[in-house]
Amino acid sequence: MPVLELREITKIFPGVVANDRVSLELERGEIVALLGENGAGKSTLMNVVYGLMSSDGGQILVNGEMVKIKSPRQAIDLGIGMVHQHFMLVEPLTVTENIILGREPGRLGVIDFATARQKVQEISARYGLKVDPDAKIMDLSVGMQQRVEILKALYQGASVLILDEPTAVLTPQEVKELFRVVRSLVDEGLSVVFITHKLEEVMSVSDRIVVMRDGKVVGETKPSETDDVGLARMMVGRDVVLSVEKGPSTCGAQVLEVTDLEVRDDRGLEAVRGVSFTVCGGEVVALAGVSGNGQSELVEAIVGLRRPSSGSLQLKGLDITHASARASIEAGVSHIPEDRHRRGLVLEFDLAENLILGDHRLPPFASHGIMHPSAIAGVAERRIEDYDVRTPSWHVLASNLSGGNQQKVVVAREIGRNPELLVAAQPTRGLDVGSIEFVHKQILAERENGKAVLLVSLELEEVLSLADRILVIFEGRIVQEFTVDEVDEETLGYYMTGGGGSKLDGEAEHVEMTEGDS
Amino acid sequence: MSETRETLPAQKAWMSVAQKVGIPLASVVLAIIVGSVIMWTSGYDPVAAFAALFKGSFGGPKQIGDTLLRSTPLILTGLALAYGFRANLFNIGAEGQLFMGGLAVAWLGVAVTGLPWIIMVPMLLLASMLAGAAWAFVPAILKARVGAHEVITTMMFSYIARYIVSWLVVGPLKAPGQIPQTVALPTGAQLPRIQTLFGESTLDALPFLNLGRTHLGIVVALVAALFVWFILKYTTLGYENRAVGFNPWASETGGISVQWTTVKALCISGAFAGLAGAVEVMGVHYRIFDQFSSGFGFTGIAVALLAKNHPLGVIPAAILFGGLTAGAGTMQLEAGVPQKIILIIQALVIFFVAAEEIFKWFIKRRQKEALSHAG
Amino acid sequence: MLGDIITPDLFASALRMATPLALAAIGGTICERSGVVNIALEGMMLVGAFFGTVITLATGNAWLGIIAAVVSGVAVSAIHAFASINLRSDQVVSGTAINILALGVTGFMMERLYGHPGTTDPTGTLGPVFKFAMSDDGFFGTIWNWINGIFLSHTPIVYMAIIIAIVAQWAMFRTRWGLHLRALGEHPRAVDTVGVSVIRGRWIAVLMSGGLAGLAGANLTLEQVGSFTENMTNGRGFIALAANIFGHWTPVGSYLASLLFGFADALQIKLQIFRGEINIPPQFFLMLPYVLTVVVLAGVIGRAVGPAAVGKPYEKE
Repeated sequence: MPVLELREITKIFPGVVANDRVSLELERGEIVALLGENGAGKSTLMNVVYGLMSSDGGQILVNGEMVKIKSPRQAIDLGIGMVHQHFMLVEPLTVTENIILGREPGRLGVIDFATARQKVQEISARYGLKVDPDAKIMDLSVGMQQRVEILKALYQGASVLILDEPTAVLTPQEVKELFRVVRSLVDEGLSVVFITHKLEEVMSVSDRIVVMRDGKVVGETKPSETDDVGLARMMVGRDVVLSVEKGPSTCGAQVLEVTDLEVRDDRGLEAVRGVSFTVCGGEVVALAGVSGNGQSELVEAIVGLRRPSSGSLQLKGLDITHASARASIEAGVSHIPEDRHRRGLVLEFDLAENLILGDHRLPPFASHGIMHPSAIAGVAERRIEDYDVRTPSWHVLASNLSGGNQQKVVVAREIGRNPELLVAAQPTRGLDVGSIEFVHKQILAERENGKAVLLVSLELEEVLSLADRILVIFEGRIVQEFTVDEVDEETLGYYMTGGGGSKLDGEAEHVEMTEGDS
Repeated sequence: MSETRETLPAQKAWMSVAQKVGIPLASVVLAIIVGSVIMWTSGYDPVAAFAALFKGSFGGPKQIGDTLLRSTPLILTGLALAYGFRANLFNIGAEGQLFMGGLAVAWLGVAVTGLPWIIMVPMLLLASMLAGAAWAFVPAILKARVGAHEVITTMMFSYIARYIVSWLVVGPLKAPGQIPQTVALPTGAQLPRIQTLFGESTLDALPFLNLGRTHLGIVVALVAALFVWFILKYTTLGYENRAVGFNPWASETGGISVQWTTVKALCISGAFAGLAGAVEVMGVHYRIFDQFSSGFGFTGIAVALLAKNHPLGVIPAAILFGGLTAGAGTMQLEAGVPQKIILIIQALVIFFVAAEEIFKWFIKRRQKEALSHAG
Repeated sequence: MLGDIITPDLFASALRMATPLALAAIGGTICERSGVVNIALEGMMLVGAFFGTVITLATGNAWLGIIAAVVSGVAVSAIHAFASINLRSDQVVSGTAINILALGVTGFMMERLYGHPGTTDPTGTLGPVFKFAMSDDGFFGTIWNWINGIFLSHTPIVYMAIIIAIVAQWAMFRTRWGLHLRALGEHPRAVDTVGVSVIRGRWIAVLMSGGLAGLAGANLTLEQVGSFTENMTNGRGFIALAANIFGHWTPVGSYLASLLFGFADALQIKLQIFRGEINIPPQFFLMLPYVLTVVVLAGVIGRAVGPAAVGKPYEKE
């Protein structure tokens, strides 16, 4: 008898059928991978199971009994736990406080913190998930935070664990560790639903694979019965080219020169510690690293959003070390920000207004502070056409577009400006395969045009397929440099986690140890 | 393709206008209904009250004149609030900037002599805008530099402004006599009444120009509304103001200085509040004293919200609240309802406009019901 | 002259003046910790002050007045809770509406009940809880007189405020309610996903802030002034918000910050007595608390970080 069975679950959003009669079975001790592109309906399905959304049809059975799950509380009571893609952890609270939240031990409303700590340590020891119960969440690494999330589900008594895109934020090494943990959970009798859009993960971790596309289950298979190409075809519905074609690099004049750059983060701590490199025209240089190793601060310094504390930045011989964002744009730096909703777009603006952001003071869009609506409309229409933004007109608000189309608007603006240097930070995060292909093509087109491109990405696949040179950043330093044909994912992962012997390496490991010990 | 591109926006624009006007109108109606219930449960006759109110505000040219008189500063404070709101700033202390604008005019108008009207009046209006902007400057800098919330700081500055005025009118600027007030402005520094601009025969021919106490300030206010509309729609200043209001991070990425835009926005907001003080002093009282503003700065909040922060929408919204204020006296006299009911209605309007969800929720429920009946 | 200014009753007065600010500030702390901004403290305080007076005048019992003040504060806060939690209105705008509503309702009811605007008949004020004799026994007598004067001369709500600050501090960091509250303002979805109701948690917090603001109003009318005057709160609700920020969103911190503002108020009142000798217009003394509020905000804000999700309506997917 399956521990969890979904029968013909249907969920309708205004205008979209997110889940169309989806059925799924999960046996005890089994790992089922739910594979599909962004927007295929995987997370929606699991949110229905976890009681965060109500379904518009279908049935859920837990241990053979029909249940109605209307709230997370009910899901938890039925033994269903979920680790969300965006962690549900309260940053200023401690590990213990987060784990016990909602099920606090104690009497008369007074929390018994001693018992709470003890329980956390028990579970932590039982499943081999070491963590400091008194650490604050905001002081933990992302991998450690995920561990807290899993512990939280276990503390709540989960026998079915749903992991929503758990590897998106992890390094290859952390992914391995996670897979080990998942295996040990299954050995203890838990069942796991593993949501992902990454093919290799599916192949290595799951017992069974369920593929979703456009809200429907389109196939079910086992890792032993398929391969990458077969899965990709099932997931996308057509053959996909898994690698990008590109000609040899034509490194022209030097465009960006970064020398001994040091940058502090918001807390005033040194985030970039003396970085030097160059990018030349006709070249894609990728910055590979685990999130939070100084990439964001480095990018912000280059595009003028953050003042470096020392060192220098030169753009074609022009000093832009202390340039403002405006001066930087005007000097020829374009920036595809990593968070398009926060940094890339004004969602309440229409497409034309978004397409001129950053150029809005300059002719032909404005002169002497007065804007020229007809010039703006003309350029907007041309860019929408050129960059294949799917929209009825430029009057539409940016918030009404899909993620892929929103990113195309950002790309259209930043590349349409005809910059000297394009800084692309995680330009394909959260996009569907079609849009990813499009963005990759545009980036390579810039390279063909002899422009310089600096790519920051957490996806090693993307780094390896687009870059000519790869710089590995760890704890604010560039620890290794490769040309693309002399390196593979494993090696990159090794250096990204400090394997190359950064001076701070020993110190970092020491911290990990003490966290584990307590 | 070109056809859809032309028709679709037009349709959309019409729909959005309907929505923009519909919710404020519904809010006013709801506020009047709830206000009536309050009157009725308190033992008053709401029908008689609103009849008297209407008579007192729109019953004839003189009454309309009174309504316009009250609407004049409200258009300006409404613009002040709306401009701030567009940058996501809540200038709750517009009253303080209004006091400083009025003070500047009351002082300069007497201190500076010998200038012709045509120079004197624009100079005074400009001075009041500078004074209002200056009074908003410290809260603006504090907001931009350290993030001190403008709701608290402008409010505090508004109390400080009132104490400064209250000191000056009993101290250094006190006019001779018992009453704590400043010396009256000379005619050359006043905004004359509209009806004094026309000859007897013109007034007889066009009786609607008999607008009682309405003064030239109404023209100043209408021009200001057009001016703000132009700034927001057609200038980079307005574009940046709106961009920062919606999304400061994306604005920053687009090379807009969020801090500088914040400072400009709050100071421009303060300038219009200051101008509201000027029209009250130059067109109504000709001097400043403790109670020269009946909370125009605060009513400006309701005006801006009801107008959905649209500078031209501010005009009808101000006339509505101006009418309520103008008719309140008649209502108290004829129906015995305390004038304070106006404040209650004003609060209810703000409440309903802000709670747009009430209407959306209602519509959604209707749709859901329809769906469930269908299914 | 300094000896005339720095006397036990200056500090006692500081405690008294701090009380309404502290109660409202603690209310603000609880409310903001749950993720709801409350700029309506001013209005809630005013409504509490008014109904406290009305019931005391009607029944002659100040304790019933205090209860009425708390209940009316809670009732007004229910409007704010409904608007900002259920209807997801802009919380600052909803707060503004309530402040104006409070002015209107108290003014309207005043004319309806008493037939005139302005100030109500006097209710008298509640007396001090303790009545210890002064001592004239030399050095120790002086110390006793200072202690007695500063700490033992107060009316009930003054002591209540101190107790509330301590209890609320303990509850915020040691109880289930407190843990949920702290999580609510930081990451409401995290609270929702473990099966704790965000709506309920925020409602309770807003209602508590209303009750505390109402109690603050009762302290103003029934313990300090002895009658109600229209708009008598005079910006105290906003100063209380500043005290909450200065106190880093903790109850005891809010209380201590309120003491600072209370002291400024006490000092300006005291200095006015010496107006003749100092020769500064009284308006400048009256400005002092407002100026101090701005100075405090300017100095502290950069370093004080509020709850991450404050002001953001929570929407289930």
